[in-house]
Amino acid sequence: MAQPLRIEPDVQFIRELQAVGGDSLKKCYQCATCSVACPISPADNPYPRKEMIWAQWGLKDRLLSDADVWLCHNCGQCSDLCPRGAKPADLMSAMRNMAYQKLAPCPSIGKWMSSSKGLLILTAIPAVIFAVIWAIMAAIDFGGNFKGSIFPQGEVVPGKIFYGDYTIDPVFILVTIFVVSAFFTGVKNLIKSIGPVGSTMMLGKKKNLLVCLLEVITLEILPHAKFSQCGDNTEEKKFRKYGHMCLLFGFIALAVVTGCFFLGHWLGRIEAFRPIYMEVPLSFANPFKILAQLGMVLLLVGLTLLTVRRKNQDPAKQTSSWYDWYLLGVIWVVALTGMFTQFFRLADWAVLTYIIYYLHLVSVFMLLAYLPWSKLGHLVYRTAAITYIRYMGRK
Amino acid sequence: MSNAILVVGGGFSGLTAALEAAEVGYDVFIVEKSPFLGGRVAQLNKYFPKLCPPSCGLEIQFQRIKKNPRIKFFTQATVSSVAGKAGDYTVKVHIEPRHTAPNSADLGLLASSLTGETDNEFDFNMSRRKALYLSAPFAFPSRYVLDREMVNKDDQIRLAKSAFVDLNENARDIELQVGSIVLATGWKPYDASNLSNLGAGAIANCITNMQMERLASAHGPTNGVIKRPSDGATPKKVAFVQCAGSRDQNHLNFCSYICCMASLKQAAYVREQYPNAEVTIYYIDLRTPGRYENFRNKVTADERISLVKGKVAGLEADEASGDVILEVEDAVRGHKSKVRHDLVVLATGMQPSLAGDANPYGVTVDADGFIVDGEDKGIFAAGCAKQPLDVMRSAQSGTSAALKAIQTVRGR
Repeated sequence: MAQPLRIEPDVQFIRELQAVGGDSLKKCYQCATCSVACPISPADNPYPRKEMIWAQWGLKDRLLSDADVWLCHNCGQCSDLCPRGAKPADLMSAMRNMAYQKLAPCPSIGKWMSSSKGLLILTAIPAVIFAVIWAIMAAIDFGGNFKGSIFPQGEVVPGKIFYGDYTIDPVFILVTIFVVSAFFTGVKNLIKSIGPVGSTMMLGKKKNLLVCLLEVITLEILPHAKFSQCGDNTEEKKFRKYGHMCLLFGFIALAVVTGCFFLGHWLGRIEAFRPIYMEVPLSFANPFKILAQLGMVLLLVGLTLLTVRRKNQDPAKQTSSWYDWYLLGVIWVVALTGMFTQFFRLADWAVLTYIIYYLHLVSVFMLLAYLPWSKLGHLVYRTAAITYIRYMGRK
Repeated sequence: MSNAILVVGGGFSGLTAALEAAEVGYDVFIVEKSPFLGGRVAQLNKYFPKLCPPSCGLEIQFQRIKKNPRIKFFTQATVSSVAGKAGDYTVKVHIEPRHTAPNSADLGLLASSLTGETDNEFDFNMSRRKALYLSAPFAFPSRYVLDREMVNKDDQIRLAKSAFVDLNENARDIELQVGSIVLATGWKPYDASNLSNLGAGAIANCITNMQMERLASAHGPTNGVIKRPSDGATPKKVAFVQCAGSRDQNHLNFCSYICCMASLKQAAYVREQYPNAEVTIYYIDLRTPGRYENFRNKVTADERISLVKGKVAGLEADEASGDVILEVEDAVRGHKSKVRHDLVVLATGMQPSLAGDANPYGVTVDADGFIVDGEDKGIFAAGCAKQPLDVMRSAQSGTSAALKAIQTVRGR
């Protein structure tokens, strides 16, 4: 005879879930409309109905080992049709927010990132770092530019304060190492949690993990395939797909520019690579500069689309959490400060250029250094989860 | 000052309230919007749990009304205004012309000689009727009504020759003096065209539960044979979709109370006619309160009637076969699938008639359209105007409203 299953609800976990965006999960009465409404949930063990009952019952283990939260692309069709206003889409987001908080090491960063209360300290860290750098550069009168003022004199070049070689590159190389190692642990934890318990026998030819990753990137991520399946081609929802596309491709453009510049700048010092040497500011005829401008425009268009969409959301159907607004906010600051630094520099407004550039550095730090604990962490976690799920034979 | 009682609505709760008050000596007026009394019950094939036909309960009520000189009823009548206070109300009533002579002349031959036809709303547009008609064989008053707007030129000539038809009768407005008012305005089936994910009422072989009542009724469009509307085929695999609009904040934010029992009852209709047919009822929670549990056990003992926990959230027509493809997650097994049925019945809920309708009574209705007050003003809600009820409880609430109305007018 089957042993009766004793359910141990984790009440604290339910409260935590409600705090990170799942506040209406208790309204669910398990009608299963959501699982049918979801255009991408599979026939076997579809989501998000099962997640709703696990959340209500506080079944932490089940939820934390549930890969399906990463399959959900948050189109909100389930919440639109939900007869109870239980907002299953919000619960799926909340589960991902929980993952941002718990997967990577340094739990205190996860805690600070989880609500507006942590914003001050998160801002203070880069604000102090770059203020100290600025103070040191002014104190040593770097390059003879300052002449006693806190602002460099002469031609307006942000590099006169934050000279890349000695300030920005070392800081962001450290940030990159920090983020990559955090993601390494985070992804390891993710795979451990969503992987099967015990050993799994795989039938048929085993897929190559790298091939799976390549498939995910080229078949799903770049063409935004899931967004299209989620109904984002319809008039009212296409803001989301195109907004996300603009942001992704904008960031790819900016990453390409930054990466190539970094390589050119450092490798170009070696005699053999002399022709590729690059130095800021790049001329406007430089293809990388043009690509950077394109990236900036894409970011602004994407941000506008996504912000308008979030603003126009029916709060009875879908709500935006702190994680959503933090990410949108930081990207807005990054894009606007980047754009205005360039404008003010060209307009020769020294004081404004330097101040805005300082804010730009602070916001870029806030975007990159906290990546594994922010919503943007989905870039890595979601890709890893979908790749792993594909590897295990589910789509 | 008046001791008379006005009952708005001539359905089961209104009739009960009127009779209870009249039979203990109070004057009662019934104002009914349609041409016949009996309300929604008259449209049913059978009512649960005893599965007797509606003519059985209604006929007794009609007999009691006929015999009781204290009851005066107006059909095709609507209340246009209510003024005054408890014990002293002046009610203006607008009465549309019937165009036929009183005293129940049998105009059947004349009616069948007419050429024009129009959709029959009594059968939820599944049949056609003439401009001169009775809603059902046991209709009360058994006096034909002429739908003046649907009369074509040929028919007009025929009708003008009849001594029992007055094509020129005009609408009237009358005033009633009453001391108390019972509002038994009843319900309407929720409009399936709002259910966009369930085919929006546009799928031929997806009908509502009230349409199923007409299909199964001996006086209905198919003389009681349950057939598919699109091709008249015999259904072999029938699905019932529970909570089609009910318990849904996007539609009716309440449980309509009767639909689970109605679907179980209708599953029995299907199984009674077709020994090989399979029936599946898709539900969120099967609600059969109190002794209705016994009915459920009886019906579900049939092994060809199965229950699946999971709300149907997608319906589409298969144009080639006329079948309906239904999409649902079986929440117990955790499996989502598309299932083919040849006939699908939506258990659409009951929406109070006052929802989105004129409310000249000076009472408050809640967001759903149910009456929530009025008792302090001598106005009492009965039946489904107040909350979703079955026939038995509608009758009880009619009696209760009558008692309160009597207490309001007594001794004045």
